[in-house]
Parts: sequence; C-alpha cells; structure tokens
Amino acid sequence: MALLEVHDLAFRFPRAEKLVLDGVSFSVERGERVAILSPNAGGKTTLARWLAGLLPDGVLKAERGHVSMDGKDWTEWHIAERSSAIQYVGQVPSQQMTGCAFTVFEEIAFGPCNLALPEAEVRARVDEAMTVCNLRHLVDRDPFTLSGGEQQRLSIAAALAMKPQVLILDEPTSNLDPESRDDLLAQLELLPGELTIVVLEVALRPSLALADRFLLLDEGRIAVDGPAIDVLTHPRCIETLGMTAITEAGRRIQNAGGWAEGRPLPLTLADALQTLQVPDAVR
Amino acid sequence: MKFDTRTLILMAAAVVINIIGGQIAHFLKLPLYLDSIGTILVAILAGPLAGGITGLVTNLVWGLILNPVAAAFAPVALVIGVVAGLLARAGWFRTWWQATISGAIVAVPSTIVAVPIIVYMFGGVTGGGPDFAAAYLLAVGQSLVQSVAFSNLGINIADKAVTALIAWIVASRLPLRLTSNFGFFEHSRV
Amino acid sequence: MASGSKQEAGKQSLLFTPGESLLHKANPLTSLVIMLWMISAAAVLPTAGTAILVLAAITVSMATGVGKRSVKRLLITMTPIGVALIVVHGLLIERPDQTDLGLVAISPDGLDYALKVFMRVAAMLMATLLFVTTTHPSEMLKALDQRGVPPGVGYLVASPLLLIEPFSDRAKAIRDAQRVRGLDLTGSWKARIIALPILLMPLITLALSDLDQRASILSGRAFRAFPRRTVINAPHDSTFQVWFRRILVAVAVLQLGIPLLWHF
Repeated sequence: MALLEVHDLAFRFPRAEKLVLDGVSFSVERGERVAILSPNAGGKTTLARWLAGLLPDGVLKAERGHVSMDGKDWTEWHIAERSSAIQYVGQVPSQQMTGCAFTVFEEIAFGPCNLALPEAEVRARVDEAMTVCNLRHLVDRDPFTLSGGEQQRLSIAAALAMKPQVLILDEPTSNLDPESRDDLLAQLELLPGELTIVVLEVALRPSLALADRFLLLDEGRIAVDGPAIDVLTHPRCIETLGMTAITEAGRRIQNAGGWAEGRPLPLTLADALQTLQVPDAVR
Repeated sequence: MKFDTRTLILMAAAVVINIIGGQIAHFLKLPLYLDSIGTILVAILAGPLAGGITGLVTNLVWGLILNPVAAAFAPVALVIGVVAGLLARAGWFRTWWQATISGAIVAVPSTIVAVPIIVYMFGGVTGGGPDFAAAYLLAVGQSLVQSVAFSNLGINIADKAVTALIAWIVASRLPLRLTSNFGFFEHSRV
Repeated sequence: MASGSKQEAGKQSLLFTPGESLLHKANPLTSLVIMLWMISAAAVLPTAGTAILVLAAITVSMATGVGKRSVKRLLITMTPIGVALIVVHGLLIERPDQTDLGLVAISPDGLDYALKVFMRVAAMLMATLLFVTTTHPSEMLKALDQRGVPPGVGYLVASPLLLIEPFSDRAKAIRDAQRVRGLDLTGSWKARIIALPILLMPLITLALSDLDQRASILSGRAFRAFPRRTVINAPHDSTFQVWFRRILVAVAVLQLGIPLLWHF
C-alpha cells in the first residue's frame, strides 16, 4: 500500500466555475522524494493543502475523490494523529509562523506542546529540530524579527518537531532572495533520509535539489509522472512552465547523454546547477 | 461557545486592524477614533459574539501595550461588536448605505455604555477630543452627564458610521475563498 | 538549553521591562490578583487613601526597576485628564461654593472632587502599570495554560500582541512611502480624508491575507487537539502565593462589598 494516495481528486472553490483540480491521481511511496511542477495559479497550493490533510475544511469539499494516508482517508484522522503523520510548509515566510510564540523556542515547541507531550520530550524534540535547521543561535529571538530565510528554516524546524513521516513543501523558496534560497536548499538536503518529501514548485532548481521523481500538474491533472528527464523534456512542461532555458538545458543533457538512464538521482544542488547551467533568472 | 480556528485567527487579525486603524486616525489627526473597524468586520463575518469578544480583547490588549485607560472602556468595545453583529444578522450590512446607517445606530448603545464610565470613573473627562465639546456644553449650562453624552454621541455617530462603512467595503472585497467558510456572512450578502 | 532569557524576547511595543524583582519573579496570577486588589481599593478609598496608594505604587515601581517607564506613562496619561478635571469641576460646573475671581469662578468643592477622581484614576492606572511592566505576557499565558484555560483564549491575546509591532512598522513604512510620493498627510481636511484609505486598506488586506495560511499552520501543529497543552518553563508558584492570592481576592471582594451594604 502506498504511503500517500490521491484518488481521482476534483475540487473547486465555492461559487467558482472552474475546477482547480480535475481528477488528480497519484501515489507516493515511503521515503520517496517527489516534485510536483506546475505554473503559477496552477493549483499547487490547493493540491498541497489536500495532500497535507488541511482540506477538506468546512465548506471546502471535494467534488469527487479523496486523499488517504496509510490507506485511511484524511477525514478519518484525528488532528493530533494527522499532525504527527504529515507536515506542511508554505510560501510566504511570515505566514508560516503560528503568530502566538514569543520566541523561536516557543514557535518550535508550539506543536509538541499541543500534543500534550511530557516537557522533557518537547525539549528533546525542539533541541533536535534546532540542530537540524541550524537555529540554536536564534533560540530567544522573536520569530517576527527574523529574516525570510530564517523564518523558513524555523517553520521547517517546527514541522520536524512534530516527527512527521511526510513533509509537504509548497514553494518553500519562492519568497527568498537567491542567497537565502541556496542556504535553505542546502539545509533541506540534510533532512533525514527516511523522511518522505513532496515539494510543489514552479521553479526547477529547488525541485532538482530535492526530488528524484517529477510530476507535472497541468490544467488540474497530472500530465507527466516520471524521472526528471521525462518532465523536463515534455513539451507541456516547457509550455506551461514557460521556461525556455529549461528546455535548452534538458535538451543539452539529453544530447550529451549525460543524464540518461543509470545516472542516479537526486543530484546534489551543486551537481544539478553545474549540469544544467541554470541561469539565476530561471530560479 | 467554541469558535473554529479560522474565526479565532480572524478575531486576532481584527484586533490588530482595530489598533492600527486607531493609530492611523491619530497620525492623520482626524477627529475620529477608527478603532473598531476590525470589530465590526468580525461582527459582519462571524456574528455578534465573535464581534463583541474582538472588541473586548482589543481594549485589553491596548491596555497592555499602549494605554491602560483603554481597558476601562472594554465594555464599550464589547457592545459595539455585539450590536453590529445583531444588525448584520438582521440583514443591515447588505449595502454601503445600510452599513453606514448601522454604524450610526451602533453609536447609540455604545455611547450609553461609555457615558457612565466616563462620568463616574473619570469624572466626566477622558483626556481627549470630546472633552472640549463637553466643556463647551457645560459652559453653556448643560449638566455634566448631558454634556458628556452629547459630546460623545456626536463624535461616535460620525466615527461609527465611517468605521462601519470601511468594514463593509473590506468585507465586500474579500475573496470568496476567504469568506466562504464564514457562514454568518450570508446574512450580509445581497 | 534555556528559553529563559526574556531580555531579547522583550518586545519594544510591550510595556514590560525585564528585571529580577519580587514582582517579576512572582507567579503572574499573583501579580494579577495584586492589581485587581489595588483597583478595588482605589474604587472605595477616600482621596488620602488613593494618594497613599499612588505613592506606594510609585515607590514599589522604583524599587522593582520599572519606575521610569511607569511614571512616564502615568504622567502622559494623567496630565490631560488632570487639566480637564480642573477645568470641568473647578471652573465650569456650577456649585454653591463658587468664588468669583473676576474672569473665572473657582469652586473648592469642585477642585476637591477633581482631586478625588484624579487620584482614583491614577491609583488604578498605577496598579495596571505595575502589573504590565513586571509581567511578560508569555508568562501570563503560560500561567493560564497551566490552569487549564483553553488554548484558544491564549491565542486571542498572544497573537495581537505579537503582530502589532510588525504591523505598526508596516504602517509607518506605508506612510513614509506615500509621503515621498506626495500624499498630503498634514494638509486640509479633505486631503487627510483621502489619505485615510490609501494608508489603511493595504494594511487591512495584509492582516487578512494571512488568515488561510495561518489556519493551515495552526491546524497542522495540532492547535486545540486537546483541551490542555504542555507548559514549558512553567512559572513558579508556591503554597504561600496560592494563599496570598486567596486572601487578597477575599479582601478585594469585601472592601467592595461592605461599603455597598452600608448604603442599603
């Protein structure tokens, strides 16, 4: 049984004409690193929230289909169970803050405290998360005074402190300057190997750094599903993402035969950038 | 009573909107308070109880960080939220002119609650704008309660009408995906 | 690893001033009860009593290291109130004992009353100031968590406290940016009315734009999964403080209640 399964999911916002998601189906296995590529306004955030079990919510319901983890529909999960199974980090750094923690420590401890874990366990979790995300020196800072990059590291730390099996990253670097983005990506590469990661992106660079399997979300459906080279060279990908540079890069790899079968993925960030020679403007 | 998390977050944001509104009115030197925009917004979106609590919390938080005197007027802020919510439930926030009239109506009970606090706790003064109006009315021979009531009512009617209008404009421009989970807002839809 | 140092965590917008005094170390509930007792005392004491209360509170605030901030705030708030009280009660309200001084008529009774109100408000204000300058809101919230107060209540108070400062900064940034672009913020009535939505709307939109995301984040972090949360670094409490609070609450209720009974 797949760890995370999306089954024929169709969704529209109330009073909206167009379906945001129109029959999305795919599954994610334990330990996989998946990138879902999609143009802006292509339904990434909506899909991310469905994957993370944050939808359905009130009047926001599926037209058809559902998302399940470990074979159980998200609607059947208790909030405490679900938050220990999956975590979500979104785009805008300041919006990822809980908004009720006075310090970095409290921000990371917020989730574990809500689980009513023993104090020692909470401390151990916060400690570990701060180490992984390199936040020790900021422990007493007010989260809202941190830089965007620091806030994103903080929200990933807070997510990790919940000890999830799956981490959903919705364009985690899109609001960061190039330097903070690279720092964050380097940090993400250090995440524990057993963690299943799904990253939803419009940009190629973070996807390449993190994922070994690529999906293209196009017009509310999954158009392509496979290794990087399949998606990169797929005409719809090039069209929808509108990044000619990628086409170029993709072709180059293909022509050179340098990234054909047998070449292990994921690449490291440096590796990917070098191979692709992705210009900075492309992200 | 248990608000869902989204309503709680709205209420917290509304407290911030209230305080920022008050600060902006202050640095524009407008003769209005504009410190209830968030309260009335919540009243429109989530009902009288949520609106009332937003008002109450605003003044308590204001007391904590800026001016403890604000805490004494917490009951007034509560009444503003509750009455605006009741008017919204009655369908009196559907159009801009209804909202403006509703705002003016809200001013009446809020003044009725404010006057005893001003008169009995603060001896009829607040250290602010209406004191001048009250002083004038006193000078022309009104009683203290009347002077305080009239001076505050006048400013309140103008203030709450503008406030309610702003809240209505904000609410009507909110994206559907944001408002669709606030069922109470149906009372204010045309 | 300690999250103890509140020095760095102390936000500028808060009236809280870090320190090591007894009041700082007291359980936040104890400080809260002291405040409530002082307010109730101020409500019933005669002028001499409230004046002593004010002086005592100022002395305590000096001793706890929060004096400068409290007294400054006290003066800022009380000066206009004091002036207005003197004008309204000493000069404007007609009383039988008014003595004509040519231009104005002064009433000693009115001035007495003005002083009474002034001292009462000042005592209540000092009570509140002593509490907020020595109690960090996060400690207060922990104390509430510990008492089993629902997490939603804590959120409603904590979140605005944290968000005000970034938003105030943003408001100032927008104001300055608009001023550079020629928006008239000090000119005529009309100009300032026009400026209002330009300053206000972006901030309101911004405050509300966080809503969806923050709801997701809180739900993802198991917010309100259980009626009680774990409290880290729970504020210290003692049997002495528990009894002290009980007695003080009883005294506060009695001192309010007895004068009421007297009236009937």
